[in-house]
This record gives sequence, structure tokens and C-alpha cells, in this order.
Amino acid sequence: MPSNAQRSEEFIRFSPLDRLLHMVVMIGFTGLAVTGLSIGLSSTAPARLLIALVGGAEHAAWLHRFFAVITYLCVVVHGLWFLYYRLVLGGRLTGPHSVAPSLKDLRDFRENLDYFLGRRSAPPEFDRFTYMEKIDYWAIFIGMNTMGITGLVLWFPEFFTGFLPGFFVNIALVLHFFEAVLAVLVKFFLHIGLAHFRPAVYPADTSIFTGRTTREKMMEEHPGQWRSISGSEKPTGKP
Amino acid sequence: MSGKGWIGLGLAAGVILLLAVVKAPLTTPQQKPSGTTPDKLVCLDCHRQANIHTNEGVATSRQFCNQCHEKEDTRRMVDGTAVSLQVPAASFADSPHRFDACIHCHTDVARSPHRTETGAQCRGCHSVHGEGDARSPHLRVDCQACHFPSEFVRMDKAAGRVRLDRRDDRGRPIALVTHGLADVSSESSCGRCHHAENTVGAPASVLPAKSALCVLCHPSALTVGHPIFWAALLVLVAGLLLMLRFWFLGRVQGEEHALHRKISLSADALWLTLFSRRFFTAARVLILDIVLQRRILKESVQRWSMHSLIFLAILARLGLSLFTGLVFAFHPDGDLALALIDKNHPFTAFVYDFLGLCILLGVLWAAVQRFWVRPAHVKTEIEDNVALWLVGALALAGFLTTGARLLLTGVPAETAVHSFIGYPVSRVLSTLPVDWRSAYPVLWYVHALLGAALIAYLPYGKLKHMFNVPLTYWIEEVWGLKKQPRV
Repeated sequence: MPSNAQRSEEFIRFSPLDRLLHMVVMIGFTGLAVTGLSIGLSSTAPARLLIALVGGAEHAAWLHRFFAVITYLCVVVHGLWFLYYRLVLGGRLTGPHSVAPSLKDLRDFRENLDYFLGRRSAPPEFDRFTYMEKIDYWAIFIGMNTMGITGLVLWFPEFFTGFLPGFFVNIALVLHFFEAVLAVLVKFFLHIGLAHFRPAVYPADTSIFTGRTTREKMMEEHPGQWRSISGSEKPTGKP
Repeated sequence: MSGKGWIGLGLAAGVILLLAVVKAPLTTPQQKPSGTTPDKLVCLDCHRQANIHTNEGVATSRQFCNQCHEKEDTRRMVDGTAVSLQVPAASFADSPHRFDACIHCHTDVARSPHRTETGAQCRGCHSVHGEGDARSPHLRVDCQACHFPSEFVRMDKAAGRVRLDRRDDRGRPIALVTHGLADVSSESSCGRCHHAENTVGAPASVLPAKSALCVLCHPSALTVGHPIFWAALLVLVAGLLLMLRFWFLGRVQGEEHALHRKISLSADALWLTLFSRRFFTAARVLILDIVLQRRILKESVQRWSMHSLIFLAILARLGLSLFTGLVFAFHPDGDLALALIDKNHPFTAFVYDFLGLCILLGVLWAAVQRFWVRPAHVKTEIEDNVALWLVGALALAGFLTTGARLLLTGVPAETAVHSFIGYPVSRVLSTLPVDWRSAYPVLWYVHALLGAALIAYLPYGKLKHMFNVPLTYWIEEVWGLKKQPRV
């Protein structure tokens, strides 16, 4: 939790569970994208090479399902953690420290555009998660559920066509493929841009691996959160 | 369509035309009644090869076989008795094989003379399966002996296999023409072999599959299985939780109720160890101090040897079991998987017997130290005795069970001898006036109960050291705490 000062300048930004889930999802998502696109674009030369490397389409399909299972397990564990956090620890699922979207995100977005256009001297007062980070998070959280549903229909067509019309399998196949392309593009541009190519963090934002952030980084990137921790004065932010 | 396809199509059309021309004389009243072989045949009536990888090929090929085998008077003579070879069409109605060609399974019958050497083959399509997932006691049993509806089985001494009998219980010849599959989902179907009077070398009752708890020493399925294993698992988990609870009893920074904080802090510490240079320290401790027992070796070679006989042998059996499971999961039809799951395979039989002997010798050595030599540092408490006797009795019962199994299933001596403890035991057991069909299940349950008891006992008595000593080593080394000599 943010109030837990480990050493003089370090703050915990991500719990060990968050770091573990991120690491598994990172491996799982990459594996899903590589095997899935190799299967989906099987007529292309790179796909053929990758399929040959893993020992054939059957193995690629097996690996794809393996990665799908470990990735979705993370969604389940994450959901259970939210339940535990809310019910046992009595935490709040909304508010400035949460990833829940809020009206402030819209205001932050407008102010950030103003800042980019030179109408403001400073970026907005981001809280613990910026609106970009929230989009990044919710894109994969919702995406993994929808990909999971269509993926299950493709994995167990006999079961699902027991109560769904057969064309749902075709729909699932189309949705699964195009949403995969969408997810890969979103992760490639949004997540790589946010966590790697931003000048403030280039070449990589390591806080999801170490779990730690420094006071300077927090004051710079999440001033709202820093203010709520330290109780310091709100800077004006006007030009 | 390829060139071959056109040729095939032309050939088929030719055959049809030819048949149309010659059909009329074949069906005139002068001919023999239908069902017997017409005496005027065209070569291609029989000498044709259907492409059974297409639906059309399957249909024509089956049609060809059915020309005889759907007729009631297709029969063969066995000892003066006519045995019908009519295949009941109804037995294919719900069969998973209803879209397969006959020669998919009966691979060697499309020839002259019309006779089979190998019988129907299942493994062209299906993998071997075992008791649960790996380690099969039924490797010497034909697939059909369980999966086909005929109730009569026999031991084929020449092949050393249990297979369906071509005679019923009164010795009358029968035909195995019903192609439906037996329902093997319930244990009642096992009764054709597993009854007290069987002659195929099966135990009198059906024994449960090995549990995942048995993996310390045996390849096993990923299921818990029988209630005694469930009970053992529950006791084990309860003990582990009690142990964990004890570890988290201490206070963090004076907080009274801070279980969540303690878990979070220890998880963070674990994370920082795993992803830092200290990981290599932990790995070194794992290999040198935990697996190879360096600290005990430094204290006493004799104690190291005694402990390693038990510990390393169990570790090796665990490693082999996990390896077997992995190999079997990924390539169940390979020679390696078949060798590893076969208890009678020379390598498997020898290695498991050898490691079992190591465990038994280690336990004997420890018992001698504890009860006769009695060095000053050895303080025997009741918990020590429980652990020692449990492991010793478990290994002994294991060898007895192996011996009884070799005796009961009639494994030929030249194969069984690789089990170099089990085979002599089986020779000794053979002198006893015991019906091993009924006695084997008793031995098996004794061994299983001892195993379950040992697993359940792990977190309670002295065997708890296998959890907390490695942990202590790690914490001491990784966090640089003071090392203390251990007894």
C-alpha cells in the first residue's frame, strides 16, 4: 500500500501479487499473440516458420490453450483479490487510489491536451493511475474476458452448440481473430508507448517488476497521489 | 482432381459397367443361393483397394465386407460346430466406429487366405492408457478384453497376454462378432476378470488407482482417488496450515492483527530474493545443502550416508515418477513412455526395486543406530519411532506387494527377475498355501494405508523437518543469519 515507506525514498506501488500477475500475463499474452497469430495467419511465411519451430499446428494449438489458461487464471485470481480486498480488508474499489474510471479522468484528459498544446504550464494532477494507465488496464481486463468467451466457444464447440445455434461458432471465430488483432495493436501502441517509450520512463518503467517507485517519480507522475500521502499543498498548475 | 483421382474414377466406372454387364447371369436361378460365393467372379470384385481416407471409400469398403458378413449363413467350422460370422449391424448403431472402414482396425484381413494374424488393431488411432494417467497394470491385457462386450477372457500363455476368449465358459466356440463397446465407466464391467475364481491372474477385487499422493514413490494420476487418500490429504493440508499459522503468529511492528501485512511482507521478501542475485544463493543452498545434504555430511559421514539412503532414494523415485508423468502426458505411445509405465520393464523394475532397497537399508541402519548402538547425541522420542516404523513398514509392504503381484499375474521368470527383490519374494510367497487372488488386494491396501498414513503424518511428527529445515537453511543463507549446528 502506498503509505508503506520501505526505505527513505521508496514507495510500494505494486503488491507482490500484482507483480506476479503482471509477469504471468506478460508471458501468457505474448505466447497467445505469437501462437494465435501464427494459427490465424497460417498462410504467411513467418507463421509457417513459428509453427514449424513449435512442432506443428497441433502443438501450437496446445500451447495457445496453455497460455490462455494461465492468462485467464490471472483474471480469476485478480477478481478474487478484489473480493478479498473489498470484503476482508474493507478497502475501497473506487476513489483516487483505484483503477476505477472517474470524471476526473475526463478532466485530466482535457487538461493534458491543453498541456500538450501549450495552454498549460504543467500536466494535470494525476492520481495513482493516470487515465492512460486506466485505459491500458481496462483494455486488457475486458479483452481477456471477451477473448476468453469466444475462445471457449472455439475450444468446446460441441458443448456450446448444445444450446447455441451453430453460426455462433463462426461468429466466435471472426470475433476472436479481429479482437486478437485489436488487442495486439492496443498493447503494442498503448502499453509499449506508456511503459517503454515515454521519455520519463525510457527504456522501461520497472515499477511493475520491483513493485517500487521513488518519491521523485511519484511527485512527477502521480502528484495527486503524492499530495494525498504527504499532505502537501496543491500547486496551482495555472500558467 | 489429381491424375490418380481420374484414374480411380475411371476404374470405378469401369467396375460398375463391368458389374452391370456380368450381374445378370450371376443372379439367374441356376446360381447358388445368395450368401455363398458366386462361382463366376470378376478379378476386380475382390482385388481392389478402397481409399478408406474418404467417406466414399469407407462406404464401398464396408459394403464389400458386408457382402458376406451381413449374411446369417456366413460361418466357419470350429470342432464340428458352425460359428456364425455375421456381424450384427445394430452393434454399430451407436458405436464411435460407425464411420470407420472394417480394414481400419482389421488391418490384415484384406488378403488371401482370408485370415488374421494380429486381430483388430486399436493403437493405429488410440493411445495406450493406464491406471489413471501413468503406470499401467493392464499393459498385458488386450484392449478388447475390457472394451468389447464379450464376457469371456483367457490368459494367452504363449503371448503372455489376457485377451477375449473364442470359447465360452463351457468350452463351446463363440464368435466375437458384436462390435458395440462395453460400458467401462462402472467397475462392474471389471468383474469379467476381477473375481475370486479368475484364471487370468487378476486380483479378486478391483483396486483403486494410485493417488497423486503416491507420487513421492510411484508414477500416479493427477487425482486424489480413494477416500483413504482424501482423508490423508485433508490431514496433511490441515497440518501444513497449522504449521503456516505458527510461522505467521509473530507480530509485525507491534501490530496485533496483521496477518495480511505479514503475508504481504513475506511475499515481497520472497519476490526480492527471486529476482535478485540472492536467487543464486538460494539455488546453491537448494543443491548443496538441501538435496546433497552438505551440512549433515560435514557433521558425520555415517549420518549422511544413512540419511541419504532414505532421502535420496525417495527423491530419485519422485523425480522418476514426475518424469514418467511428463513423458506419458506428451508422448504416450513412445517406447520411453511405455517402458516407464510398465512395472515389468527391466529398467523400471530394477530401478524401483533398487531405490526401494536403499530406503529399507537406510531405515534398518537408523533403527540399529537408535535401538542398539545408541550414540550420545541420539535421543529417541516416540515421534522418531513412528516415522521410522512407518517408512520401514511401507517399504516392506511394497516389496511384499510386488512379490505377490509377480506371482499372481504370472510374469515369466526371465522378465520378473529384473525385479531383483520382488522376484525372490514372489518365489518365497509361492510356497505359502495362500490364494493370492484374494490376498493381493489385502497386501495392496496395507501398503496404500501405510502410505496414506505416512503422507498424513508428514507435518506432525519429526518428518516435519522436510519442510522447515530447508526453509531455515534458505532464510539463514539468503538473509545472512547466524548458522547453528543441527543434530
